[in-house]
Amino acid sequence: MQLNMDRPGVTIFLQGNAALARGALEAGVDYATSYPGSPTVEILELLAQVARQCGFYAEWSVNEKVAVEGAAAASLAGLRALAITKADGLNVALDFLTCLGLTGVRGGLVLVVGDDPSGHSSVKEEDTRFLARVAHLPVLEPTTPQEAKEMVGVAFRLSEHLAQPVVLRTVTRICHAGGNVTLGPLPQERRRPSLGTEDRFICVPRQHLQQEQKLREAAKLAEAWNLVSYEGPAKAETLIVASGPGLLYAREAVKRLQRQDQVGLVGLKMVWPLPETVLQRYLQVARRVLVVEEIEPFIEEQIAALIGRNAGEWPLLRLYGRKDNTIAGSFGGGCGELTPDLVRAALTTILGLSAPEETGFRTEFRPPERELAFCAGCPHRASFWALQSAIALDGRRAVVLGDIGCYTLGRGRSGYRVLHTVHAMGSGLGLASGFGKLKEWNWERPTVAVLGDSTFYHAALPALINALYNRSDLLLVIFDNETTAMTGHQPHPGREVDARGEPAKPVSLEQILHGLGVPLKIQDPYDVRSSMRAIYRALKEEDVRALILRGPCALLRDRKLAQLRTYVDQMRCLGEGCGCNVFCSRVWACPANRWDGLRGKAYIDETLCTGCGACAQLCPAGAIRTEGGEAPWREG
Amino acid sequence: MPPKGPLHLQKEVLQVEQCTGCGLCAGLCPYFNVVDERVALTSTCGLSEGLCYEVCPRTPTDWELIDRTVFGAPRQDHVLGHWQGLYYARAGEAAPAIEGKQYGGTVTALVAFALTQGLAHGALLTSGLPGDFPVPVLARTMDEVLAAAGSKYSATPTLQALVGAMRDGLGSMVVVGRPCQVLAVRKLQSVKRRTPVTNLTAGTKLFLLGLFCFWALSSAFYERFLPSKLNPLEVTRLDLPPYELVVSTPKGELRLPVDELRPLIRPACEVCFDPTAEFADLTVGSTEDDPRWNTLLARSALGSELLEAATAAGWLEVRPYPADRVHLLREAVARKKRRVVTGPAGPPPYLFLQEAYHRGVVAAEEESGCS
Ligand SMILES: Cc1cc2nc3c(=O)[nH]c(=O)nc-3n(C[C@H](O)[C@H](O)[C@H](O)COP(=O)(O)OP(=O)(O)OC[C@H]3O[C@@H](n4cnc5c(N)ncnc54)[C@H](O)[C@@H]3O)c2cc1C
Ligand code: SF4
Ligand code: SF4
Repeated sequence: MQLNMDRPGVTIFLQGNAALARGALEAGVDYATSYPGSPTVEILELLAQVARQCGFYAEWSVNEKVAVEGAAAASLAGLRALAITKADGLNVALDFLTCLGLTGVRGGLVLVVGDDPSGHSSVKEEDTRFLARVAHLPVLEPTTPQEAKEMVGVAFRLSEHLAQPVVLRTVTRICHAGGNVTLGPLPQERRRPSLGTEDRFICVPRQHLQQEQKLREAAKLAEAWNLVSYEGPAKAETLIVASGPGLLYAREAVKRLQRQDQVGLVGLKMVWPLPETVLQRYLQVARRVLVVEEIEPFIEEQIAALIGRNAGEWPLLRLYGRKDNTIAGSFGGGCGELTPDLVRAALTTILGLSAPEETGFRTEFRPPERELAFCAGCPHRASFWALQSAIALDGRRAVVLGDIGCYTLGRGRSGYRVLHTVHAMGSGLGLASGFGKLKEWNWERPTVAVLGDSTFYHAALPALINALYNRSDLLLVIFDNETTAMTGHQPHPGREVDARGEPAKPVSLEQILHGLGVPLKIQDPYDVRSSMRAIYRALKEEDVRALILRGPCALLRDRKLAQLRTYVDQMRCLGEGCGCNVFCSRVWACPANRWDGLRGKAYIDETLCTGCGACAQLCPAGAIRTEGGEAPWREG
Repeated sequence: MPPKGPLHLQKEVLQVEQCTGCGLCAGLCPYFNVVDERVALTSTCGLSEGLCYEVCPRTPTDWELIDRTVFGAPRQDHVLGHWQGLYYARAGEAAPAIEGKQYGGTVTALVAFALTQGLAHGALLTSGLPGDFPVPVLARTMDEVLAAAGSKYSATPTLQALVGAMRDGLGSMVVVGRPCQVLAVRKLQSVKRRTPVTNLTAGTKLFLLGLFCFWALSSAFYERFLPSKLNPLEVTRLDLPPYELVVSTPKGELRLPVDELRPLIRPACEVCFDPTAEFADLTVGSTEDDPRWNTLLARSALGSELLEAATAAGWLEVRPYPADRVHLLREAVARKKRRVVTGPAGPPPYLFLQEAYHRGVVAAEEESGCS
């Protein structure tokens, strides 16, 4: 199936992200940018595949700020532009965005932002609506894939109507959910860029007034544009105000409790600014209101303020939601993702019903807890082993600053718990720049920043320049797996291809570091002992220095090419009697290193093994053997 | 005594700078590692008992027990230990030319002889460029043996490669080591286990060639000292004739008084009780007299056999030890041993001497009249 098939009226099954991409096609997007981040990664991937064919532009940008800037440029030139990020990514773009919110835009500019409640694939659960509010941008939020598709077009129209960027906020459960989507027509005409001689976009504080006017205008449009829905009795004393997947959960709860004739349900598709006039109609007659929304009590607080402003005019009404823990959230205390069960429990409480009714239907399936681990053959496992060994050898208790990527797992068992900090993209290097100055307090612990290649391009340069200029002492270790692995191998500025698969001009890590005068060594992480020595020696040096541990992501290596068959010679394996105490499967813990409980010996699951041979270098009994090729680092 | 393991080794040896850098533990498991002659427990195996503790030359060692296991009896000579013959020796006419030999080339000649005769299938030696940390090698060819000639005056962890070689089934090999390394190998050989699991040494015949050694330099020598004097990459040869360090480069020679090296001596060496590799099959040292010759002690039957065979084949040339020099050798050795035993802090914790051994050392010293 092609995303750009021109068959209006046909209904197909699409993932939320695909529906959003299709929505962009139907809206005639001209320019699309993104930096890969879960849960919205697939949108640009899908768009890039058809971009050339459909006659628009799509790129993986170096980071979200540049992505939004690029899209904004297209918008200022009158084109329809789409920038796609995850919540954390919008932070990176926020400085620019708060200014763009002042100057406004020309062509439609839509920011699709994926929030990740409970942080399934993020370090935090951040609520984008607060950022949009700071930048004075309207926020729309879909409930189903179909709505997501339609909403892209609505967002473009709203953006053009207001001459203001519009945020289309979505969450993991929409992005990754599937649903039936009816296709609309694709545009036939394409826009051309233009910039009038009088067009100026210069941000000044006074524009704040226009921003507020634009928001008032947006709130007014909500009803006419069907951005608020209502279902339930004409006058409901119990009211639920819900948005996003929360609306579906609320609808289900009402149905399960069979209170359709008693509970009113307001669905907000425009979640900022609050469509107050419409809401007022329902709030005026309600006695209890439950707000169901993802992540923070954002709508809840707006409604509380609205009630406050109408005190004395409306009958007394009680507000329930996350704030008072009626919606407990999956982390408890009003935090964490919504689930249908949590919403039903909340409704049960406010209706004064007793125990939640037994539905006999399990909505919550809990898979066994498993710790996150690096893939079989992952170069990072070898890198972290070498790093933690080198740090122990060095003996000065180096401080290791982590970053965002697969190697974030270095905080856990799979990375031998070597990371002291994990925050945001590139911030490990900024922290390192600071730790590296503590020598002025006679602090003697070496500083190590660990970050990946994609992260280096994304956000490392200013911190690196800061460290150089201010003569900080730090060792930058780049875990270079030659891709953006965490989000599914998108190309980055070090690669020879761009998002559309066309030739790009690679920007080499080495050249950047050479250009900055950073002493650099490059090391193959699979040669574990040499890596250990390289890190150990680099730790001893002073000033800013770098080490690239370069090994391609195990998922990308061509398995048929030059792979070492790696196996356990069970005659050599000493089993329980080996002093190593099951090093391979317990400590090193590559998923391919397994324990044969029957024989009490190790074995290798050859369907998982990528043949990196790293474990073979470390098995003290020499029981892990390789054949079919020689790895250059095999000693003796 | 309850069994001890890696954490004890870390506490009793590594953390108190008693590690000799022999390298044996680093070859036993992935949790001990060595880089640039620094040994550390880099992660924990979780076991409370370990071979590592048992074989380390700096965990408590009963000297008499080792004598009994290696030579079958307690020693008579408390200065030089067990020996069958004391000679001047050097590489013989039949041996290949040994360019980088330290003195008489005795060690290299013996190793080369054992390899070419098929008496040993490999030799654990210490090689490398003179300006950088030496590297352990498992030599199998004449070229590799010749390339390893010459003393490197730091604590190269040669034994790191020993266990791997034995596990790979090398039937016989020569190990050239400092006295602490010889002791470590003997401790490994005395580990008695019924299972093949830890009875590592059973399948490999070892010739232990010990070196005289009064001290070795710490890592700081290559890391800081040398680079502070010149560009280490340019060094072509390092020599320690008595009382000075000679560093040769294409630009000329740098001569430094040996006293400059004193602060760089590895702390573990200060309390070393064994300057003459008492548990080796053969021990080789300088003569302190004629740099073309070596001092050679034949200690075990195995050592004597090798010596005789090499001499008969012309690979080694020996002559009697000059009678007037014996007491000089004994005095130097006795002095060091007595200093260790009777030092202000008492004998170091690793050294367990039976009453007779203790008396023997002190008495030997008094008899030689040196103090
Ligand atoms: C650290 C050290 C300190 C020494 N101190 C003294 C001393 O105080 N008094 C004295 O008489 N002799 C001392 N020696 C011994 C002496 O330097 C010669 O090694 C010995 O006399 C043999 O000479 P050769 O001509 O036979 O050596 P060669 O034929 O040149 O062979 C030397 C052999 O020693 C091995 N070797 C080199 N460096 C090391 C090392 N660091 N660890 C283990 N093996 C090594 C090499 O692999 C080579 O096989 C010391 C040796 C070392 C390594
Ligand atoms: S060789 Fe070892 S480390 Fe590499 S993939 Fe196979 S089992 Fe994993
Ligand atoms: S002396 Fe040898 S066995 Fe003991 S800790 Fe040092 S390297 Fe390990």
